[in-house]
Amino acid sequence: MRLSFVRPVAQQLFRELALTALLLLGVSFVVFLVLYFSPGDPFSLLLEGQMVTAETQQQLRMALGVPEHWYSQYLFWLGNMVQGNFGTSIRSGLPVLPEIIRVGINTLYLTVGSMVVTLLIAVPIALSPAQRGETPLNWPFTMFAYLVSALPVFWLGYVFIYIFIHQFKLFPILYGYSSERELTPLFFLLPILVLGVGNGTISEVVRHLRDEMSRVLQEDYVRTARAKGASAWRHAFKEGFLIPITEIVAAKIPFILGGAVVVEQVFNWPGMGRLAWQAALDRDYPVIMGIAVVAALFVRFGTLTQRVVYVMVNPRASQERER
Amino acid sequence: MTGMKQYAQASLMVTDPSSRSMWKQAAAIDLLYVGYGLFIVSLVVLSYILGSLNFLPHNPQEMDLSLLMAPPGVAGHLLGTDFMGRDILSRLIVGIQAYFVPGLLAIAIAITLGTVFGVLAGYRGGGVETAVLYLGNLVDSFPRLVLILLVIAAFKPDIYYIMIIVGLTNVPNVLSQVKGKINFLKQKNFIEAAVALGLKNRVIIFKHILWYNCRSLFIIQATLGMAEVILIETSLSYLGFGVQEPIPSWGNMVQSGANYLLQGKFWLSTTPALAILFTILGFHLLGDGLNNILEGRRST
Amino acid sequence: MRRLVTTFFIVSLAVFVLLLPPAKAAPKNDGFPQGGSLNYGEYGRPATLDPITSNDMISLRISELIFNGLVGIDEKQEIVPDLAERWDISPDNLTYTFYLRHDVTWHPKEGEEPRPFTADDVIFTYNIMKHPQTITPLKVRYEFIDSVVKLDDYTVQFNLKRPILNGLAKFTFKIIPQHGPENKEFLTREDPFVHHPIGTGPYMLKNVTADGEVILVANENYYRGRPHLDKFVARPFADQNIMSQALMFNAIDMIVLVNPRDIPQIQGDKRLVLQPYNALSYSFFGYNVRNPLLADKRVRQAITYAVNRQEMLDSFFNGQGTIISGPFAPGSWAYNLDVEPLPFDPQKAVSLLEEAGFSKGDDGIMQKDGKKLSLILKVPIEKESEGVKRVVLGFQNYLNKIGVEIKGEFKEWQAWKEDVFLKHDFDVVFASWVFDDSADITSLFHSSEIGPWRNNFGGYSNPEIDSLIVESKLTLDHEKRRTIYRKLHALLAEECPYTFLWTLTNYAAYHHKLRHVAIHPYKFFSFSDRWYIPEQEQR
Repeated sequence: MRLSFVRPVAQQLFRELALTALLLLGVSFVVFLVLYFSPGDPFSLLLEGQMVTAETQQQLRMALGVPEHWYSQYLFWLGNMVQGNFGTSIRSGLPVLPEIIRVGINTLYLTVGSMVVTLLIAVPIALSPAQRGETPLNWPFTMFAYLVSALPVFWLGYVFIYIFIHQFKLFPILYGYSSERELTPLFFLLPILVLGVGNGTISEVVRHLRDEMSRVLQEDYVRTARAKGASAWRHAFKEGFLIPITEIVAAKIPFILGGAVVVEQVFNWPGMGRLAWQAALDRDYPVIMGIAVVAALFVRFGTLTQRVVYVMVNPRASQERER
Repeated sequence: MTGMKQYAQASLMVTDPSSRSMWKQAAAIDLLYVGYGLFIVSLVVLSYILGSLNFLPHNPQEMDLSLLMAPPGVAGHLLGTDFMGRDILSRLIVGIQAYFVPGLLAIAIAITLGTVFGVLAGYRGGGVETAVLYLGNLVDSFPRLVLILLVIAAFKPDIYYIMIIVGLTNVPNVLSQVKGKINFLKQKNFIEAAVALGLKNRVIIFKHILWYNCRSLFIIQATLGMAEVILIETSLSYLGFGVQEPIPSWGNMVQSGANYLLQGKFWLSTTPALAILFTILGFHLLGDGLNNILEGRRST
Repeated sequence: MRRLVTTFFIVSLAVFVLLLPPAKAAPKNDGFPQGGSLNYGEYGRPATLDPITSNDMISLRISELIFNGLVGIDEKQEIVPDLAERWDISPDNLTYTFYLRHDVTWHPKEGEEPRPFTADDVIFTYNIMKHPQTITPLKVRYEFIDSVVKLDDYTVQFNLKRPILNGLAKFTFKIIPQHGPENKEFLTREDPFVHHPIGTGPYMLKNVTADGEVILVANENYYRGRPHLDKFVARPFADQNIMSQALMFNAIDMIVLVNPRDIPQIQGDKRLVLQPYNALSYSFFGYNVRNPLLADKRVRQAITYAVNRQEMLDSFFNGQGTIISGPFAPGSWAYNLDVEPLPFDPQKAVSLLEEAGFSKGDDGIMQKDGKKLSLILKVPIEKESEGVKRVVLGFQNYLNKIGVEIKGEFKEWQAWKEDVFLKHDFDVVFASWVFDDSADITSLFHSSEIGPWRNNFGGYSNPEIDSLIVESKLTLDHEKRRTIYRKLHALLAEECPYTFLWTLTNYAAYHHKLRHVAIHPYKFFSFSDRWYIPEQEQR
C-alpha cells in the first residue's frame, strides 16, 4: 500500500464524517418538525379508552418527562439520542434503540443479500455489450432487466410464493417451522431473491454501469493500453466498474430500504420495515424517529463508503469531483 | 477579444442540440424504445380521456354481488370482475386517473425546485452552493418509504401528501444534474464567454442553459417520475396507505386481487399488475431512448 | 374483521348469569395424554403481555393462558370459581367477600421457589389498576368499587359504591403478583414485568424470541392439575394470506380467527378442523345525530331500509352470522325476538326520505332546502381488513341507489378514534362492539354518556331511553328487568341510533391432532388446559 493513499483518504473520511454528523442533525430536526406539526397527539394512544382531561394528559406528560416548549422538547430528545437513548416505544414500553438494532440487523441481511442478487443479475447484463458491443443475444436480457424493474414487489412476492412454495413445494413456508428442518435456511433465499429482483433498481444499475463503462473504454489511457496490447478490461476496471458500482449501490440504498418495508410484510421478516409500518399505524413517534435516524445512518454509511472507495481509486479526485 | 467572441458563438451553436440530424443518426433500437414509449403514453392519455368522458364498457362503481370474482369473459366482463363484482376493465381504464394529476404534481415539484436550486448552486457557487448541497444531501439521506410512512403517521394517508414527498425526494436528483450541466458549461468557458458577449443572465439561464441543455433531462425526469409514482402507490396500497376505495387505482386493484392469488384466482391481480408492468416499461424505455438520442449516445 | 383484534371496545352486554353454588375444581386425572406442543398464528404482535396495560386482543388471549381471575367463566357462559373457591354477597348487593384457594402458587421466578398466592396479591392488583399513573383500559370498568379490605390472608372483601347488575362477572379480572412489577405503586409499559409476566395460570412464559414468538410452557404446579400440552407458541404474522398458507403447510397448528375468504380452502383440507364460535360482538353503522340531517329519525330509518344486510352477509361472510335488530346478543335473555330486523325495502326508504322533506336533485342526490344528503363515513384503515372494506363499499352502493351520497374516509386508527370519540367529526361510522361478560348498554345510549372519549359518540339522547335505562338499573328483579330490556330493544330498533347489522360466527382452524377443543368467545384460551394431542400424533 502506497502511503500517498492515506492522507487523501483520511481527509475524505474526516470530511464525510463531519458532513454525516451535520446531516443527522438535520434529519432529526426534520423528523421532529413533522411530528411536532402533526395534528394528533401521540400520547392519546396511551389514554385509549379513558376519560381524558387536560389534567390527566398533563400528568402523563410529566410522568414521561416531556418538556413543555417545542425547542426544549427537541433539545431534550436530541441530547438523549446523542447518549444513545432513543426513548422508549409508546406501544411496547421497550427501549427503542436495542429494538431497532435487533430488527435492523435482520434488515441488513435482507438488503445486503438482495443487493448481491441485484448485482449478480445486473452486472453481466450491463457488461456484455460494453465488451462485445450490442448483439442480438443481449437485447432480450436488457429487456428482462427493464421488465423486472417494473414489477410491483409485493405482487412478485405472492407470485414467488405461489410458484415456489405452493406449486413446487421448493421452500418451507416459514423459517423454523418445517418438518424438514435441514431445508429451513433456504427460506431466507426467497425474500432476498424477491427483493433483489423486484426492488426496481436492476435497470438503473444496468444503465449506469453500461454508460460509464463505455465512456471509460473510450478514454485515452484505455485506448493506449489497448493499442499496446494490454487488457483494456483491467485498465478500465477501476474507473469503469468499481466506481460506478459503488456509486449506484450507495445511491440506491434508500430505495432498497423502501422495498424492504414491503418484502418484510409479505415474508414475515422481522425487520425494521415492519417496525416502521407498525409505528406508523400506532403513531409510535419515538420508534419512527429512531428508525428515520438509523435509516439515514445506513444511507450515509453507503455514501461514505462510496466516497472512500472513490478517493482510494483516484487520490487526486478528492479535491475535484464533488457531487 | 474577437477570438473570444467567435469561440463563444461557436460554443453556443455546439450546445444547441436541436438539429434535426440527431433523429436521423439515432440507432434503430432507440427509435423502437421511443416508439413503444410513445405508444404507451398515448394509451395512458387515451384512457385518461375515456375515463373522464365516462366512455367505459361498464360503470366502474357498479357492484354485482351475485357475480363476485367472475373470470374473464363472463357476462360481458371482458377481464372479469373484482372482489365486489365490479368490472375490472372499466376500473383499469379509470384507475390511471389516480396517478395523472398527483403524478404530474410530483414531477412538477421535482423539476421546478430541482432547477431553481440547481441553477442557484451552479451559477452562484460559494456559500449558496454549500447550503443547497447540504439540503440535497439531507433529503437524500431519508429512505423515501420511511419518510412517507412518517408523514402518513403524522398527518393522513392522502395521495397528494405522498406525491409531494415523492416530488421533494426527487429534487436532489434534478438539482445535481442541472448543476452538473452548468459546471460542464463553466468548464468549457461557455458562461464566461456568454457574459462577455453581453448576454443577460436571464437569457443565459433560461435560454442557453435550461432550454438548450437541460430539456432532455427534464423529459427523462418526467418519464421516470411517472413510473416511480405508480410503483410507490402500489407499494403503499399493499401497506394499506395508498389510494382508498372506492376510487380505483392500479395499486389497490393489485392489492385486493392478490388476496386471492394463492387461491388460484389469477385474473384479479394479474391484469392490473401487467398494466403497471407495461406502462412502467413504456416510461422507462421512452426515457432511455430519448436520453440516448438527445445526448447523442450510441452514435459511434 | 380485524376490528376485534385491535380494538378493545368492550361494552357490556347483559348476559344474565345464574349464581351457581360454588363447586370444587375437578382434578386433572381425566385420562388424556400429556405432551405435544401447539403453535398458533396471530395477525400482529402483542404490545405487552400483562393483563393490566395491554389493550389488544392478542395480549388478551395470551394473558388468558398465564393468569387467573377471582372467578372464571365456563363453557356454558356461567360464572365458576377460579382463584376464589367461594364467595358471599351481602343482601344489599354492596359487599362481595371472596374466600381464596390455599393451594395456588405463582409461577417461580428464575432461581426462586414458587411463592403462594394470597389476599395481598388481590389488593395489590386492585391498587395498581386504580392508580392514576397506571395506564389501563380497565380503570373505568372498575370505578364502581369503593374499597377493598383484607380480612385475612385468604379472604378479601370488596365494597361497592352501588349495586351492580351481574356484579360477580366483573371479578373475572386477572390477578398479578405483588412480587411481580418492579414499581409497587403503579404499572407502566416500561416495567419489565409487562414483558416477562408471571401468573398463576396453566402456562408460564418461557421467553419471547427475537422474531416476536411468545413461548409458553406448562405450569407443573397448576392448581387444577398440569395442562396436557407441554408448550404453547404464539407466532406473529404480518400478512393474513401467508398465515393461512402457513396453516395449510403445517408450519403452524392453529389460527384463532380465520379470514372468511379462506374458509372454503380450509374446509377442503381433511387435516384441518374448522370450529365455529360465537364472536359475542355485533357490527353496526352508527350515526352522529349532531348532524341535523341525521337528527331526523326517518332518515336513519330510510338508510336502514336501503341496506340489504342479508345479501352482504351472504356475499362477504359466506352467510356465517345472524342479522340482528337491536343491541343485544341474539339468544341472550335480553334479546327481543319479537322485533324483526327492518327488511330490505329501497322503495320504503325513498318514501321515508320524501316524507322527511327530501327530493331528488338534478345530480340524483336527495336534498332538502338546498342541503344535499351527503354523509361522511369514517372507517379506520387496517391492512387486509377486507371484510370491513367490502361492507363499506356495499353500503355506499346501496345508498347511492336511493340518492344518498356516502363519502368514505379511511383514516389511520388513532386518527379515526380521535375523530369519532373526541372531535365527533363524522356522520356515520362502521364499527363493532364486543360484549363482555356483564352489565348494560348505558354507556352506548344514555344521554349522560355524551362527551369526549365517552361511548355514546353519536350524541344520541332520548328521555324515554334514558328513563328506561335508569329504571332497569334500579330493579334487581330479573323478570322486571327483562321486560324493560325488551322495551328498550324495541324502541332502539325503531329509533335507529345505529343500523344494527349482524353478529358474525367466528371460525378457528386447527390441525385435527388437537382434541377436546373448547373455545371462549373472545378470551379464546380459557379452557385450553384441557386440550390435548394423542400420543401417536405428538411429533
